[in-house]
Amino acid sequence: VRCQLSPPHRALQASAVLRRVSDEQKEPLASSSQQQFDSHPTNHQPEQEPQGPRPSYTGQGGQESEDYESEEQLQHRILTAALEFVPEHGWTAEAIAEGAKTLGLSAAAAGMFHSDGSELILHFVSQCNTKLSELLEQEQKLVQLGEAEKKPTDQFLRDAVQARLRMLIPYIEKWPQALSILLLPHNIPSGLNLLTSMIDDIWHYAGDQSTDFNWYTRRAVLTGIYNTTELVMMQDSSPDFEDTWRFLENRVADAMNMGSTANQVQSTGEAVVQGLMGAAVTVSSAETSRAVR
Amino acid sequence: AAAGLCPYRALLARRGGALRALCGSVRGLAAGPETHFGFQTVTEAERREKIYRVFESVAKKYDVMNDSMTLGIHRVWKDILVHKMNPSPGTLLLDVAGGTGDIAFRFINYVRSVREHQLQRKLRHHQNLSWQEIAESYQEDKSKSLGDSQVVICDINKEMLKVGKQKAQHLGYSEGLSWVLGNAEELPFDDDKFDVYTIAFGIRNVTRIDLALQEAYRVLKPGGRFLCLEFSQVSNSLLSRLYDLYSFQVIPVLGEVIAGDWKSYQYLVESIRRFPPQEEFKAMIEDAGFFKVDYQNLNSGIVAIHSGFKL
Repeated sequence: VRCQLSPPHRALQASAVLRRVSDEQKEPLASSSQQQFDSHPTNHQPEQEPQGPRPSYTGQGGQESEDYESEEQLQHRILTAALEFVPEHGWTAEAIAEGAKTLGLSAAAAGMFHSDGSELILHFVSQCNTKLSELLEQEQKLVQLGEAEKKPTDQFLRDAVQARLRMLIPYIEKWPQALSILLLPHNIPSGLNLLTSMIDDIWHYAGDQSTDFNWYTRRAVLTGIYNTTELVMMQDSSPDFEDTWRFLENRVADAMNMGSTANQVQSTGEAVVQGLMGAAVTVSSAETSRAVR
Repeated sequence: AAAGLCPYRALLARRGGALRALCGSVRGLAAGPETHFGFQTVTEAERREKIYRVFESVAKKYDVMNDSMTLGIHRVWKDILVHKMNPSPGTLLLDVAGGTGDIAFRFINYVRSVREHQLQRKLRHHQNLSWQEIAESYQEDKSKSLGDSQVVICDINKEMLKVGKQKAQHLGYSEGLSWVLGNAEELPFDDDKFDVYTIAFGIRNVTRIDLALQEAYRVLKPGGRFLCLEFSQVSNSLLSRLYDLYSFQVIPVLGEVIAGDWKSYQYLVESIRRFPPQEEFKAMIEDAGFFKVDYQNLNSGIVAIHSGFKL
């Protein structure tokens, strides 16, 4: 009953901030980051289907509202704006507050998000994954058009992982903090989700068409390679992270050399254990260094 | 003094409902529609009058009664409210029905400690400065211990404001506070001014809650937050029975013994029962135009914090 009563009321209150999607089209920066968790088409019906108990707001004729962005899109805009303040404030509510201020909102808008900065980190990871997908897609197109050579698998993996890890470089100082927050229980499901879909993506573009146990093995192995390389990168102080890329090269070579299935299964287990051990070490050293400060 | 605040706003720009409320509030004129005062039925004009007198009479013992009725737990509730707000230095807070200043003082304390942390962190990063430079930076920062944060305490009742001002002086709060006499249904402030609007244990005493919510929406900046701390419905049935017993048998007696005023506390207990439950109040807040409206129950629903954003 309530749902039917509310729409006319909503129509009277023109939203103060949520703007027409047509305005958004003029900002190329904003629109690229829209394909996030929910993969909404930005043009039409931002939120026609009511999500949960919240009534979706329909205008007087049901037409005006279709052009307004939803709260989620506004939240994404705020988080994107907040990223530039992360090097200074870390992955915190303060960075989000600064981001909100650049959009002309009150700093109190940061109250929409969890105070530990989880959403900011997840947003960033999701953004990076999207960028990686686009990059790999473009490379694939070039190969299909015959303008580039198809890379051998080991080089492909190396390049893909390197490209993805390079996106962390502007935030590298605060990244250990982000990793430890991602390991908090309430963030593990989303974090793992993003990680596995990224690894999936890489293998997909690498041309993996396996439908047997190899599918799991390949993903576990690449996940292990990615995680360990990421941890090495945190502690790397060589120019342009050369040591990290060399480490990556070696790990990928090891993976390629795994012969029989038995070997693979054993190495998978090892890779997973290594990844977990490395994560535990990094988290504890990040925690102690934070406590010391 | 509160900066940038507009004088009394002309009502004509507002909707017809507000005009009706204005008519109702002028004493001796048209009585206005029927409403409730506790479990009695009265007109809107009478209700406002009665509530004003209730708080006029309890003002001096307000804090003492709060402590004895809730066994001091109201302090925890108010702490939780300010923690949820998580204000950063530079925030402009409007505390409506804030009479004796509880929320305002907590806000000031919180912002002060956040500011101290900020300054400490800044110093740590500048460890390569000379001694002189560090001493100079102390001078600058000392003058901004609150980081430009301000709280405006607005209440309709002169007595409550008086008690609040005395308390502030007594506890040593001097800067960052402003005291304004005003009606939540018709705030004497301009649009888009405040970062946060709070109303703690006040909104159930407002006669036209919808008007108060609309005013809250109006005076908040885009992105601003609405926070309401109020008694609400208890979900657990056993607890609910104990709570009813306590409310109706113990509280008015306490009121008589401590404040010499049975009737006012009878009103208080009844008004809690008359206030809409969590979901209904959430719907009212959404109707006023707020987004991302949510509530958090404290003590199984004895008290609830509702939050909404002006987006």
